[in-house]
Amino acid sequence: MRSSREGSTSSAASRPPPPEDALHEGAPFALVEGGAHGLTLLALNRAARAAGLYRGQSHADARAILPDLLSAPAEPERDLAALKRLALWAERYSPCVAADARAGGYEGLLLDMTGGAHLFGGEAALLADLRGRLAGAGVPARLAIADTPAAAWGLARFSAHDLSTHDGVVAPAGRTREAIAGLPMEALRLEAEALSLLRRFGLKRIGDLYGLPRAGLARRFRGEAGLRLVERLDQALGAASEPLVPERPAPLYRAWTQFAEPLTDIEGVGFHLPDLARTLAGELERDGQGARRLRLTAFRVDGRVTTIEAGLSASSAAPAHMTRLLREKGLERLDLGFGVDALMLAACRAEPAWTRQGEMAGGPRAQAGDSQAADSQALAGLIDRLQARLGEGAVRRPALRESWVPERSEAWTPAAPAQPPAPAEADARLRPILLLDPPEPVEAIAELPDGVPARFVWRRAPRQVVKADGPERLSPEWWRDPAAGRTENPALARTRDYYRVEDDQGRRYWLFREGLYNREDLDRAPSWWMHGVFP
Amino acid sequence: MTAIPLHKGLYGRPAPYPEACEPLEEVGAARPADAAAAMAFALARLTGAADPRPLVLVTTAAWVRERGRPFARGLVRWGAGPGRLVWVRANKEAEALWALEEALKSGAVAGGLASVEAPAFVATRRLDFAARAGKAVGMLVRVEPAQDLSAARRRWRIESRPSGGEAFDAAAPGATRLRAELVRRRDGPPGAWTLEQDDETGRLRLDPGLADHRVDAVEPGGVDVVRRLASAAA
Repeated sequence: MRSSREGSTSSAASRPPPPEDALHEGAPFALVEGGAHGLTLLALNRAARAAGLYRGQSHADARAILPDLLSAPAEPERDLAALKRLALWAERYSPCVAADARAGGYEGLLLDMTGGAHLFGGEAALLADLRGRLAGAGVPARLAIADTPAAAWGLARFSAHDLSTHDGVVAPAGRTREAIAGLPMEALRLEAEALSLLRRFGLKRIGDLYGLPRAGLARRFRGEAGLRLVERLDQALGAASEPLVPERPAPLYRAWTQFAEPLTDIEGVGFHLPDLARTLAGELERDGQGARRLRLTAFRVDGRVTTIEAGLSASSAAPAHMTRLLREKGLERLDLGFGVDALMLAACRAEPAWTRQGEMAGGPRAQAGDSQAADSQALAGLIDRLQARLGEGAVRRPALRESWVPERSEAWTPAAPAQPPAPAEADARLRPILLLDPPEPVEAIAELPDGVPARFVWRRAPRQVVKADGPERLSPEWWRDPAAGRTENPALARTRDYYRVEDDQGRRYWLFREGLYNREDLDRAPSWWMHGVFP
Repeated sequence: MTAIPLHKGLYGRPAPYPEACEPLEEVGAARPADAAAAMAFALARLTGAADPRPLVLVTTAAWVRERGRPFARGLVRWGAGPGRLVWVRANKEAEALWALEEALKSGAVAGGLASVEAPAFVATRRLDFAARAGKAVGMLVRVEPAQDLSAARRRWRIESRPSGGEAFDAAAPGATRLRAELVRRRDGPPGAWTLEQDDETGRLRLDPGLADHRVDAVEPGGVDVVRRLASAAA
């Protein structure tokens, strides 16, 4: 594995920004954090380092040495957010980017460049390109590329080269051992105790460990710290694996294009979108796959990304459909900032291409089967477009469920073109076509306490009942927790008696009385509710 | 001045109930409380044609809040089984009109029904074209009957009517009965019909008047309009 690490000092992304003129004039500046023993320095600029200050020094000491030290409180959350933003941007180099957010000023990005460096003209050219783009976005960076993440981590931070002017360190493939031999022990990411122990033994460079017997090393560095030493050394030399955890799962299929001049308007993006979609569709088709979720990422020149996503209800590899869907979603949602210099269209979720077997060719129903498949595909396209504009979950299809309770007897599930399975037998009972969910309270008067309502007031309008049918008694589902539904709106905690009534105007309603007189829940009188309207 | 016999209507006899749908029709409830009847009537017209493609139901958020959400178990009886129904929940009316237009012109649906309050003329014209392009039928269900301009070829006005009573239980409400008045149409004279839901097929049929003779099977078609035409001819 060739792995590249890019370490940016944490001060680069922190807010509020230090006074501009102070930074440009090289005034010493530090970020401070509160600790058990007062304020300590967390990150320093070059002027401060040159004055002899160091990380972890107490702020009071630093001020004593350098009275005009400027400082600002560190904001780790904002640093982390900025790092993650940068990680998304770095996906232009590799689909696998991990933000390494270990506290203590060692934040950085790890890019898995395995087999990918040649796309950028080789490893040295890759580092130069990365450094140039980061510098353009105002992010100072130290770069290194090596066989293992651990080695790249150490090289980027502790290399003897002046990485502030140098493009980056390239450890030649297969020669990691030599490349990191000269680095100080800190480059192994060790605990403080292990470091001080090593210092007491006089072991200063990583190379000093090579000659020592491994068993003795492990024994001497007993406990937590000792195990880490051998493990860290193995990780740096590639004897132990260290998988990267990417910020986002790498998309399965992606197509991308780069521009010599940054695009600043949406029309430009729209112009390049069909080409991207065609490329992506070609990749998907090659594997017999179709996209279920698309993500269009625009890489901005200022080191940020802006994305839009669209879901598909059925997997599709039709470029025209993809383009239309993303347009429907709204390309204007992309915040292009000062311009974007690369576009990437990725299928984050893919499934085997949506195909349906028609009838046997020449059969009597072959034509019908074909047209049915075409209809299903047209419906899938329609659902996608509607969802792209109106939002996920705006398009729903009913699924009947086995329950007597009207609210629970059906679920409107997000639409898929495949028809939901209908229950075996149709329900013959009369049900309203419009359901008030939740039910609305009604004041009703019945001749008998548990009889048919004679008149009722719903939405402040009195209505005279002329015809009524009922009751249809629905008991609570005892296998559910009855207390869960005990709110001001009845969720079937008590028995319901449903009546189908018709008023003197000829309108038909579905009323129910909740609760049984003198038999159920005596401290609460039965109440009337309006639950639906019949045509 | 020639007199036109009013009791016979413009063409000599009452116009028959138009079973076939135009590409775009407008169904208005006579009163807000008749919204369910208007929706059922529109659905019955949509499902009248033997077209197995799905049906799209577009509602705005305000409409659902006010009138209730579609209930699939009840809609089954109106020909819109759960396997055919697609419910699109739009927030605003403009979105609802757009969704209906998309659905109609996609060719994937047999028909679409949208609950809207006041569609602009341009929007209805677009819907008309979309419906013809997709060989579908669009229905606009409105709660307040309006006189505004519309490209819909028919404008219905629906009113609930007292049902005829159940055969075995006189006290129970019977099959759905409603009065459908064709306020405006392009291909013939207006008219009004009393329709009743057929228990077996779930379709609306002209009330035969056999079970309940108090209701006229066919009312003299569009008397007002005929009278107006007659005075214009004079």
